[in-house]
Amino acid sequence: MAQAFPYTYYACNCFDSNTSGKRAAAVLQEAADEDEGTFDPRSPRANYQLYPLEHLLYCEDCQQIRCPRCQIEETLNWYCPSCLFEVPSSVVKSDGNRCNRSCFSCPLCTSPMQTFSLDPTGESGPPFILECQYCRWSTVEIGIEFEKGQGISAQLARIGNGGKPLPSHKERDKERERRKELEARKRDGRELFSPSTETTHTDKDEGPPSHDDLFASLSAFYKSQVESQTSASPFSSHDINFSSPSAYSRIMNLYSTSGPKKKQRPKPTAMREAASALEGLTLHDPSADTAAIERLKRDGWASTISPAQKRAQPNPSVRFTSDLRPLATLLCTKRSKRCRSCRQILTKPEAKITSTRYKIKLLALNHIPRLSIRALASDTPVPGSSRPPAKVFDYNALKPGIPTHFLFHMSNPLFDPIKVTLATPSTTPGKVQSRVTILCPQFDVGANTDIWDDALNMPAKRGSLLSDQAPQIEAGKIWDRGRNWTSVAVEIVPGFLDESARVEAETPGRGGPLEEDDDVLEIPVFVRIEYEADTGADERGLVDSKGGKGEKEKREEAFWTVVGVGRIKGS
Amino acid sequence: MSAPTPSRPDAARRTSTMKRASILPKHPSLFVDHTVLIAQHAGFTGTQPITVGPNVVLHPHAKVSSSLAPIVLGEGVVLWERARVGVSMAEAMNDSRRSSVASRASSVRDSTRGEGIVLGRNVTIEAAAVVEAAEVGEGSVIEVGAYLGKGCVIGKYCTIVAHCVIPPNTQIPDYMVVQSATDYRLNRTLLMRPEVLDMRMNFHTMQIQTFKRLVPNSIAKWIS
Repeated sequence: MAQAFPYTYYACNCFDSNTSGKRAAAVLQEAADEDEGTFDPRSPRANYQLYPLEHLLYCEDCQQIRCPRCQIEETLNWYCPSCLFEVPSSVVKSDGNRCNRSCFSCPLCTSPMQTFSLDPTGESGPPFILECQYCRWSTVEIGIEFEKGQGISAQLARIGNGGKPLPSHKERDKERERRKELEARKRDGRELFSPSTETTHTDKDEGPPSHDDLFASLSAFYKSQVESQTSASPFSSHDINFSSPSAYSRIMNLYSTSGPKKKQRPKPTAMREAASALEGLTLHDPSADTAAIERLKRDGWASTISPAQKRAQPNPSVRFTSDLRPLATLLCTKRSKRCRSCRQILTKPEAKITSTRYKIKLLALNHIPRLSIRALASDTPVPGSSRPPAKVFDYNALKPGIPTHFLFHMSNPLFDPIKVTLATPSTTPGKVQSRVTILCPQFDVGANTDIWDDALNMPAKRGSLLSDQAPQIEAGKIWDRGRNWTSVAVEIVPGFLDESARVEAETPGRGGPLEEDDDVLEIPVFVRIEYEADTGADERGLVDSKGGKGEKEKREEAFWTVVGVGRIKGS
Repeated sequence: MSAPTPSRPDAARRTSTMKRASILPKHPSLFVDHTVLIAQHAGFTGTQPITVGPNVVLHPHAKVSSSLAPIVLGEGVVLWERARVGVSMAEAMNDSRRSSVASRASSVRDSTRGEGIVLGRNVTIEAAAVVEAAEVGEGSVIEVGAYLGKGCVIGKYCTIVAHCVIPPNTQIPDYMVVQSATDYRLNRTLLMRPEVLDMRMNFHTMQIQTFKRLVPNSIAKWIS
């Protein structure tokens, strides 16, 4: 990952729960190994578990870190990003996920379009057009003008390109019914049955059906098919498998063949596909292709649309710029996140569209201590001396084989003091073996009290200095301490990059030629914190508050982190 | 200076006693119409003739330089803040853009058109745009930060999109929306609806009148 050194990633434990059934035995074995063994930041699975602390949420009921994979998102509300109008979810279900007021994007450059009045007298009167401010495309180019300045979406649904009126849903249904009756009557009157000539005859009169017409015809046809299957059904429509009428008839016969008269139940017809143009069938017509080619020859390349513009159009088979339609803006959502296991709400934004605040915000930053690392310069300047440190530490060029000192800095966001235990394998996993020694693995970190409380209670201590002026690098002793943080020294000896071949002979499977990023020094650190917390505060009123603090409960949390230190310089 | 006296002195005495003489070098051949609005810190430099038509507006810090070629600003031209018109204005641009066009510009010493810049009627040059083009057709809009190289010929009622760089000697037809020297699109709205054009021009004229009411005019410095 392209991060600046040094960084710290936290591992979420969610990989335990996602095991596939078939290889359960093998996976359990691996999981057991991982539990006992150390966390390997180079394993392929580690990529999906490691997150910076800012990306993690914390579930208070489960008392666990929740990474983005262990969360469930729910949409709270839908809104249009350009008019900031909230759309109720019922309208979204029926009308779709686009703004149905006046927010449209330019089909050429996808920027928002504005409504302009073409009234020559200067008043804002009709006719209105939509115009894009950036590429200067307007609906005049496709021949559409509006009578009103508001409700453009409804007006646009009624006007096709070039000003032809488009039939509305009801008009289409009526038209389709009329045509069906006409066909049925004609068919009865004729001796020969030739539907193909019928349909071409009507087609020639009015041109090929448009995309919207076809969609409407198809959806009406399928609706009628579904209705004919379930017209007498006592079962709910969800239980029936529509494509197997035999199952349906079997079940019906099972339950209703009782009594002397055996009603000849008509065999339910199987669902069929559309068979005529009125039902939505389109037969490919080569003349449409030749017409397109002629038009291309006449109008040139500039009259065609690019693939990106074509994909964004509601009708995906348009080719020319005169067939473009303004794009309605897609709606955005406000979402809340829940813990996957206990369904507690982790984050919940405010319902007001324009506010960016959150009503509930359970962040790992406020519950998990932050571990960071930095290099300890060899000549730390004593305060007061005028000699500046020799050079800035280069995290991209760690010297192999030379023991370098770093500082682990642990800062505590909780309101209680915590006891921290750090553990790390003595050599880092991976092809390049570096030796890591934490000089003081167990230490305390103070509570995150107010700054003023601290200043009032302990006036003698100043800032972060301890009683002895020059901190020592000594095993068992912390380096420095502050109000809610502690730092301890760590000694790291970066490994040699060219030793991997030698290592292969000793522990097969570990060595091998170095790949990209194998020279990155990453240390897995196991962090365990213990603290006492008030249970009364968390029970939210279930426990009677017996005046006073309530019980203190000992709590323990543990997690793996991966600390990225830097790159080892090749020799 | 003395308080204004009750009787107003005549023009000659007014300029000589009450105002200091300007220390700006006077332009040798500058023809400025008396209806022009020139704001503070805007101005003309150079040696070749500059002709400024009626109702031209120069916003503060707009600069017209005729050091290498004569310039004609047509009627109703509006130069917004920090607009630059004039060949050899390329030094005003930052180096990144200049280096891409510098090699071509320097190699073109003799272009097919005569030297000189002509801006047609009602051309709008928006803020920080640099125009070295030979001719800009009437009604065109050069949007913010655009650069037109030397010898360019832009048609009528074009829109050069913001921060567009047009290399020298490019020819753009009329009624185009220009994203780059090769990527331009016919603005059919203007062609199909001439009333849109009229509305735009009305707006332009009204805007010039508003500027004349609001922006203080330092034309006295330039008019001889």
